[in-house]
Amino acid sequence: MEPKIGVYICHCGTNIAGKVDVKAVTEFAKTLPSVAIAREYTYMCSDPWQDLIRQDIKELGVNRVVVASCSPLMHERTYRRVCQESGLNPYLFEMANIREHCSWITEDPAAATEKAKALVSAAVRRVYYQEPLETKEVPVNPNTLVVGGGVAGIQAALEIADSKHKVYLVEKEPSVGGHMIQLDKTFPTLDCSACILTPKMSLVGAHHYIELMSYSEVTSVEGYVGNFKAKITKKARYVDVDKCTGCGECSAVCPVTVPNEFDLGLGQRKAVYRPFPQAVPNAFTIDKRGLPPCRVACPAGVNAQGYVALISQGKFKEALGVLRRTMPFAGVCGRVCTHPCERDCERGKIDEPVSIRSLKRFMADYELNVGREKATPVERTKEDKVAVIGSGPAGLACAYDLIREGYTVTVFEAAPKTGGLLRYGIPEYRLPDKVLDNEISYLEELGVEIKTNSPVKKFEDVFNQGYQAIFLAAGAWVSQKMGIPNEDAKGVLHALDFLNKVNSGTKVSLGERVAVIGGGNAAIDAARVAKRLGAKEVSVVYRRSRAEMPAVSSEIDEAEKEGVKLHILAVPVEVIAKGNKVTGIKCIKMELGEPDESGRRRPVPLKGSEFEMGVDSVIFAVGQGVDKEMLPEELEYTGWGTVVVDSTTLQTNIEGVFAGGDVVSGPSDVIAAVAAGKEAAISIDRHLRGVDLKEGRPIPRERVKDIPKEGVQAKLRQDMPTLDVNKRGGFAEVELGFDEKAAIEEAKRCLNCGVCSECMECVKACQVGAINQDMKEETIEVEVGNIILATGYDAFDPTPLYQYGYGRLDNVLTALEFERMINASGPTAGEVWLKDGSHPKTVGIIHCVGSRDTKYHEYCSQVCCMYSMKLSHLIREHVPGTQVYEFYIDLRCVGKAFEEFYNRVLDEGTMFIRGRPGEVTDIAETPEEEGKLIIVGEDTLIGRQRRVPVDMVVLSTALQPRADAEEVGRLFSISRSADGFFLEKHPKLDPVATMSDGIFVVGCCQSPKDIPNSVAQASAAAARALAMISAGSIEIEATTAEVNEELCSGCKTCSDLCPFHAISFDDEKQVSRINETLCKGCGVCVAACPSGAIKGKHFTAEELLAEIEGALV
Amino acid sequence: MAETMVKDLADVSFINEVCAIPGGEAIRSCIQCGVCTGSCPTANQWDYPPRRVIAMVRAGLRDELLSSNSMWFCVSCYSCTVRCPRDIKPADIMHALEIIAIRSGKSTKRSKTPTMYRCFVDSARGNGRVYELGMMIKLFLKTNPFAALKLAPVGLGLFFHKRLPLKPSRIKGMGELKAILNKARELGGAK
Repeated sequence: MEPKIGVYICHCGTNIAGKVDVKAVTEFAKTLPSVAIAREYTYMCSDPWQDLIRQDIKELGVNRVVVASCSPLMHERTYRRVCQESGLNPYLFEMANIREHCSWITEDPAAATEKAKALVSAAVRRVYYQEPLETKEVPVNPNTLVVGGGVAGIQAALEIADSKHKVYLVEKEPSVGGHMIQLDKTFPTLDCSACILTPKMSLVGAHHYIELMSYSEVTSVEGYVGNFKAKITKKARYVDVDKCTGCGECSAVCPVTVPNEFDLGLGQRKAVYRPFPQAVPNAFTIDKRGLPPCRVACPAGVNAQGYVALISQGKFKEALGVLRRTMPFAGVCGRVCTHPCERDCERGKIDEPVSIRSLKRFMADYELNVGREKATPVERTKEDKVAVIGSGPAGLACAYDLIREGYTVTVFEAAPKTGGLLRYGIPEYRLPDKVLDNEISYLEELGVEIKTNSPVKKFEDVFNQGYQAIFLAAGAWVSQKMGIPNEDAKGVLHALDFLNKVNSGTKVSLGERVAVIGGGNAAIDAARVAKRLGAKEVSVVYRRSRAEMPAVSSEIDEAEKEGVKLHILAVPVEVIAKGNKVTGIKCIKMELGEPDESGRRRPVPLKGSEFEMGVDSVIFAVGQGVDKEMLPEELEYTGWGTVVVDSTTLQTNIEGVFAGGDVVSGPSDVIAAVAAGKEAAISIDRHLRGVDLKEGRPIPRERVKDIPKEGVQAKLRQDMPTLDVNKRGGFAEVELGFDEKAAIEEAKRCLNCGVCSECMECVKACQVGAINQDMKEETIEVEVGNIILATGYDAFDPTPLYQYGYGRLDNVLTALEFERMINASGPTAGEVWLKDGSHPKTVGIIHCVGSRDTKYHEYCSQVCCMYSMKLSHLIREHVPGTQVYEFYIDLRCVGKAFEEFYNRVLDEGTMFIRGRPGEVTDIAETPEEEGKLIIVGEDTLIGRQRRVPVDMVVLSTALQPRADAEEVGRLFSISRSADGFFLEKHPKLDPVATMSDGIFVVGCCQSPKDIPNSVAQASAAAARALAMISAGSIEIEATTAEVNEELCSGCKTCSDLCPFHAISFDDEKQVSRINETLCKGCGVCVAACPSGAIKGKHFTAEELLAEIEGALV
Repeated sequence: MAETMVKDLADVSFINEVCAIPGGEAIRSCIQCGVCTGSCPTANQWDYPPRRVIAMVRAGLRDELLSSNSMWFCVSCYSCTVRCPRDIKPADIMHALEIIAIRSGKSTKRSKTPTMYRCFVDSARGNGRVYELGMMIKLFLKTNPFAALKLAPVGLGLFFHKRLPLKPSRIKGMGELKAILNKARELGGAK
C-alpha cells in the first residue's frame, strides 16, 4: 500500500509557537513527498486532536503518522496508542522533537523555524520506510531485590512482602537500620528513632517473605525489566547467623578493642561485635581485615597478634595456647629468635615495634613460674609412623605438627642430648637448659618419642623399622674455613665446636687475648662466652659495618657492655703462628662498596692497610656446612654441600624422605628451621594420605592493607631488665624477662593490625558453636523482576573546612557524632560531655557545613535546619540551662509541623544568629573568652561582627552521595545527576523510577531528604513494583535485532559483543540466532556484523539514511 | 551611617555598573550569608561591612556607598574570597568600587587611602617607578604632616640600609610608558 503520511504540528501553547513559525512549518510539510495532510494546533496532545488523528486515519486513509511536538519521552506512548486504537500499527508513527531540541534552546525564531522544518522533513522521510512490528509480552518475575537496609529499604521490603511476594533485602553492614538507627530523636515530633524503627527492623528479620542478607553486597546484575539476575556476595562474617543467639559471650572474652564505626569512633567495640544492641539480625560479626604484618613476616607464621592481645588482657595461659597452636618453643624463640616480626611491626612506624619476642618469652617464664600442667598425650588417629632425624628446632617442629595430626613420631638424635643446635650451639646465659628441657619434655608428653645417641646411617634401616616417611633435619655442623695461612695452628677454634664444648662441659683454655672472626650470632655468642671463660681481651673482627652485622642488635649491645671490642671493616688475611702456636692475626681494613645481591654493601679491601693484632686464640665464626659423612649416602647435594630438596615440598631425591633446616639452607636461624619443619610436616601428611604435595602451596598469606593509626599516642617499648654487668661472670641468664605488669603494658602497645587476632577465645566461649573462623565469602544468584535501590548517603566530612576547626580543636563535633553522644545507647549513654569531662554551658550549631557552597556541595541538604533545631532542643533537655546558638543562613522549615517546631525552639530560648560564621577559634581576645571556642561571624540582621564564646561547636554537615555511588550506578546501569545522586526518570512525574526499567531509587540515594519523604518514596516504589508483579507480564519493545541467515557467515563476532547474552549459535546451520526476549535492541551487533547480516528493527539502514537525508534538505 | 527609608526608584543602574566589572556579575548570586564580614579582619572599621556593601549595590544606594569608607578599609587579605560559598570575590569588588568612587569624585576624606593611591599613581606616572621619598612627603603634606614624625625612624632605617634613595630615578622609555597609559585611559582606565 502506498504510504499516505499525516503530519501534525503542535504549538504547545507558546512553548513551540513562541519561537517556531508553526504555520510555515505546516505549509512546508504539505510539500513533502507522500504527505496526505498536514495540520497544526495549540495542544496536539489534547483529546479532540487525538480524535482528529483517528479520524484522518479512518477517513483520509492516512497510514503513516508524524507528530512534531515535544520529546518522545513525554508523548510517544500517547500517539502510538492513538494509532493502535485506529487500527494502525504503532511502529508506523514517528515523533519529531521541535520543543526540547528546537524551540527551547534558541532565541532566534528564524533558526528555530528552519530547524523545525528539517526535523519534520527527517521524520516524514523516515516514517515512509517504517514497517509494522509486533511487541512482545514477557512474564514478570514476582520476586524483588531491595538494596540497602535503611528506613527506605526496610519500608519498601515490608510493603512488598506484606503482599505475599518474595523480597531479597541486601544490606552491606552487619545490621539493617541505616543512618536512622544512629539518630536519637526525629524531628519534628521527637519520636525516639530506635523506638519507631526497631519494630520494622525486627519484622524485616522475621518476615516470612523477606530473605534478609546482611553483611552482603550485590556484585553483578544482568537481565532486563521483569527478569533480572543478580549476584550477591555474602561477606564472611565468621559467625553463623542462624546459630548465634546474640548472647555476647564471644565479645566479652575478645581481647581486641577498636573504635566503633557505629558510634563514629566515639566509642569502642570488640573485634567480634554487634554494632548496637537492637541489631537485626541479632548476630555478632567478626571483623577480620587480613593477616597482621607480624604474622606474615614470621617464617613459621606464628600468630603474634593473637598472643599479644591475650597478654594485654592478662590471659597469659591462653596466650601461650595461641603460640602452641603453631609451635612449641615459647621459651626458646622468646630468647633467641631473630624476630622478623618486630622488623615489620606497624607500631614501629609510630615509635618502636612491640617487643614481640620478649612477650613470647614472658609467656614461657610465666608458665615455668606457676608450674606447667603435664600435657595430655595426643590420640593416635593414624596408623602411619614417621621418623625425624635430628632433634633441633626443625626436627622438633615437624614432630610437633605430625604428632598433633595423629601420627606416631620418633625422633632419632645422634648426640647424647636433645635439642641440637639449641643445646650445643647457644650459650647457657642466652638459653638456659631448663627452658629447653621444659619445651622438649612438653613434646614428649604429647607422645613424641626421642631416641638419643641414635645416628642414622641408612634410610633403609629406618623404613625397615616400619616408618613410612622420614624428615631429615640433621643440621649443619661442620665449621667452614677461610682458607688463610696457619688456619690449623694451635689456638685456632671454630665457634660452633667451641660453643659445643663449653655447653657440653668440656674445658677449653683460650689464653688472655681472643679474636673472634665473624659478625653473626655465633660470633657474638663465642665472644661473650670467651669473656665468661676469663679472657681479658676479646675482639670481634667483622668485614662490614656494624649496621650490617647479622647478629641480633641487642646481643651486640650487651657484648659491648661486657667489654667485647668490635673491629669492624676488617678481615683477617693470615693467622700468625710461632711454632704452630697462635701469636696473633694479620688483618686488612675494608671499605664499603656497591651493594651486593643481598642488598648489603660489599666490603672492598683497602690496599696497604694491613695491621696485626696479638692474640692467644682465634675463634672463627664464618659459617657452617653440612657433614656429609654423618648422612646416608644416597642423598643428592648442591654445590654448597647442602641437601637438594624441592623448594615448596622439601622432598629430597628419595621418595618419602623430606629434609629441612640447616641441612638444606646452610646455617640460618631458629625460626627458619621451625618454618621448614612445619612445611615438611604438611608434605609428610599429604604424602601419607596420598594427596598432591604441591597443590595450593606455598599457602598465600595476605597482609592486611590499611592499618589506621590516627589518635595513637606515642609510647616507647618497655625496657628489658638485664643482669648487672658486674655480675655476669658466670653463665647466669643476662636478660631477665618482663614481669606481669610490664608484659601487659607492652602488649597494650599492639595496634591489632588484623583487628581479629584469631586467638580463638570466642570459639571456646560460644556455647552454641556459632563461630566458624574459617568461613569464606560466598556468592549466590537470585532472580528478580524489580530492583529497588535504597543505598542512602554519606555524611560530609568537614575536615577540609579548616576554619571550623574540626579534627583540630577539641569539642568541635559533627551533627552525627553529637547524635551518637546524645543517644541513650551511645558511647556516653546520652551524657553530653566536653573533653575535660564537664557539661557544656553554651553550644553553637553551625548550619550549611558543606551544603550551599560551590566549593563542596551546591545543593541544600534539606534536613540540616530541622535536625539542628532538634539538637538544640535535645541539648537543653539533656543539660538544662544550656544556651544554644544556631548560626544559619536561611531557615528552611518546609514540611508538616516544621514551622511549629521552629517556633517551639524559639520559645525555648535558642538564639538564632543569621550569618555563616567566618571561623571557630580558640584564641581569646578577652578574659571571658579564655578556654572557650569562639565563633566569629557576622550577625547579618544587625550588620555587625560578633564573637560568640561557646563550650562546644556542632557542625551541621551536608548529606552527600555515597563514596561508591558511581560504581553502584554503573552496576545497575543508572545515571547520576550533577550533584552525584541517582537520577530519577522524571523529577516530578516519575520520581522513583529510573531510565532503566524495573530499577527504582528511593530515599537519600536519590537526593537528600527526611524520613517521611524517604518512607513515602519507598512505598511509591513498592507500589510500582507490585503493579508490575500483579500485571504478571510486561510488554517489551519490538525494536530488536534480527539475523538474515542467508547472509550470516557464522563468524560469531556478534555473540561475543552482545551485552545481554541474547545471541546464540546454531551449530547445525552455522549461523547466529537472536533471542528476541533478551535482545534490548542496542544495535551493537548490527554495527559489528561484517557481512551486514543483522538488521536492527525500527532502525534499519534505509530508515536512518532517509532520516538523515530529510534533515539535510 | 544614615538609616532612612529607601525610596525605591527601580533603578538598577548601579548594580549594572558593578556587574560590568570583570567578575562583578557574581554579586547577583550573593546569598547574603555574611561569611565575608565574619572573616574580615577590619570589618569593624567599615561604615558598611562587606556583605552589606553588596546588599547596598543591589539596593542602588550609590552615593551612600561610594562616599563611605568601606571599600577603602579592605586590606586584600582575601579571607572572604577563600570562604565565599558562591565564588564571589568580594576583595576584588571592593577595589572596583574604589575606582568607581574616585571617578565619580565621591571618595571619602575620612580615609587616607584615596590620597595615597593618588600620590602613588602620580609618582609612578612621573618617573615610571615610584619615588618613595617624594611620594611619602607629598602624602603627608596632603594629609597630616605631623604623622610623618611617627614614621621617621622607619624612614631613617631604610635610608641607612640604602633602601630609600634621596633622588628619584627615571626608567628608560618614558615615552612608551606614557603611550601605554594614554591607551589605558582611552579604554576607560583610571584618570
